[in-house]
Amino acid sequence: MTTAQSGTTSPLLSPLHDRHVALGAKMADFGGWDMPIEYPGGGVVAEHTAVRERVGVFDVSHLGKASVVGPGAADFVNACLTNDLRRIQPGSAQYTLCCDESGGVVDDLIAYLKSDDDVFLIPNAANTAEVVRRLAAAAPEGITVSNLHHDYGVIAVQGTKSDEVLESLGLPTGHDYMSFVEADWQGRPVIVCRTGYTGERGYELVPRWDDAPALWDALVAAVEPFGGMPCGLGARDTLRTEMGYPLHGQDLSLDISPVQARAGWAVGWKKDAFWGKAALEAERANPTRLMRGLLVTGRGIPRAHCAVAHDGETVGEVTSGTFSPTLKQGIALALLAPGVADGETVSVDVRGRGVEATVVKPPFVQVQVREA
Amino acid sequence: MSDLEYPSDLRYTSDHEWVRVGDDGVVRIGITSFAQDALGDVVYVSLPAVGDTVTAGDSCGEVESTKSVSDVLAPLEGEVTATNAALDGAPELINSDPYGEGWMFEMRPSDAAAAEALMDVEGYKASLS
Repeated sequence: MTTAQSGTTSPLLSPLHDRHVALGAKMADFGGWDMPIEYPGGGVVAEHTAVRERVGVFDVSHLGKASVVGPGAADFVNACLTNDLRRIQPGSAQYTLCCDESGGVVDDLIAYLKSDDDVFLIPNAANTAEVVRRLAAAAPEGITVSNLHHDYGVIAVQGTKSDEVLESLGLPTGHDYMSFVEADWQGRPVIVCRTGYTGERGYELVPRWDDAPALWDALVAAVEPFGGMPCGLGARDTLRTEMGYPLHGQDLSLDISPVQARAGWAVGWKKDAFWGKAALEAERANPTRLMRGLLVTGRGIPRAHCAVAHDGETVGEVTSGTFSPTLKQGIALALLAPGVADGETVSVDVRGRGVEATVVKPPFVQVQVREA
Repeated sequence: MSDLEYPSDLRYTSDHEWVRVGDDGVVRIGITSFAQDALGDVVYVSLPAVGDTVTAGDSCGEVESTKSVSDVLAPLEGEVTATNAALDGAPELINSDPYGEGWMFEMRPSDAAAAEALMDVEGYKASLS
């Protein structure tokens, strides 16, 4: 399964592709996949607001799916990926990073701990093949690493009304944040995980690939009475940026380590081993740049790679920037020299114009994921 | 795209702007349905200053959506006579009413007949297909 990486071949299609076309969605390439950016009757701002105030349903089937199975699979994964899988119990999931030996981030992903011998992974679309390749190359005999990219779809239901929506389909709800339940919908298996990328209470559902269209249709119908709607990856990006959640390829990369991205909370520093441990420990003592939030106080929207100046000197650059539909202001994540502190004023070079911004600690909008 | 409208009494540019010629020789300028749809939700508009003189093709402002930013180009040579102040507080008017309340600025062309050289609606529609 290397086609997802080539980029020159024809785009990969979600199991829900014909649904998006029928809805008239604007489609665009995302990690080699042809995915919906926004839907008619919605648009980024309306879809964003639906999630913040009510509920939205997203096709994120471009996300990778992989499994690591065999005796001691969890211990093996724990010796490779950064976070400490021993902090969670079977039935829970964890945000973690796949680093290279220099501490660069190959990918960020969610690890679902099914049992000591079975770990399910959700990497990013474009990086799945590489994560699988690295794990497979390192796996001891008896442990099998499988790329299941086209075996499952992923549908996210996000927003305060997501419990009611799932309940109307007879799906389980109310389990703890970052835990999952292996459920059944109309005789079809579906994993219901209390996770998301929006900052709202919500779920990510993992049906089998061929079962995804029927589940999508049911969810699109189910969100409507709650004022919900299908939401595209445009709104997903504004929602995640308001939370300060990093996007691999922009805010995390082979050149942007978890130390720089301040994702050290997802690193099990006390573990004996994980890929990149020595390099990250060394960097942790003396980081050269750190991820900060920027809240624009003037008019303008910072975009990726805009230079950031402090007292007339360039101190870094924007990695992700957008218009916050909630705050109605420009917001950004930026890698800045470590001396620039929260509360200071900087100037972002937006196409030659200096736009003032305050350095802040994300999230820009209150996180609701753990709300009971 | 079939639900997008293009009024027949306007002139159009290949940069997806429309020009309405008024009785007093002043022209009003905005962006087309096609342009606002391609941009998505418009969140900021910057416009030229009243009194600016501009040449056809000059970048004289910006229209920015949640996703991207585009230059506002002067369709003709002339002097800017008015701008739509309502867009400051309600840039979404460009999406909801691109030919009406979402107009962007007005100018007095130095050549009163210059607008006649721009595309008519049939020419613009043909350019989109």
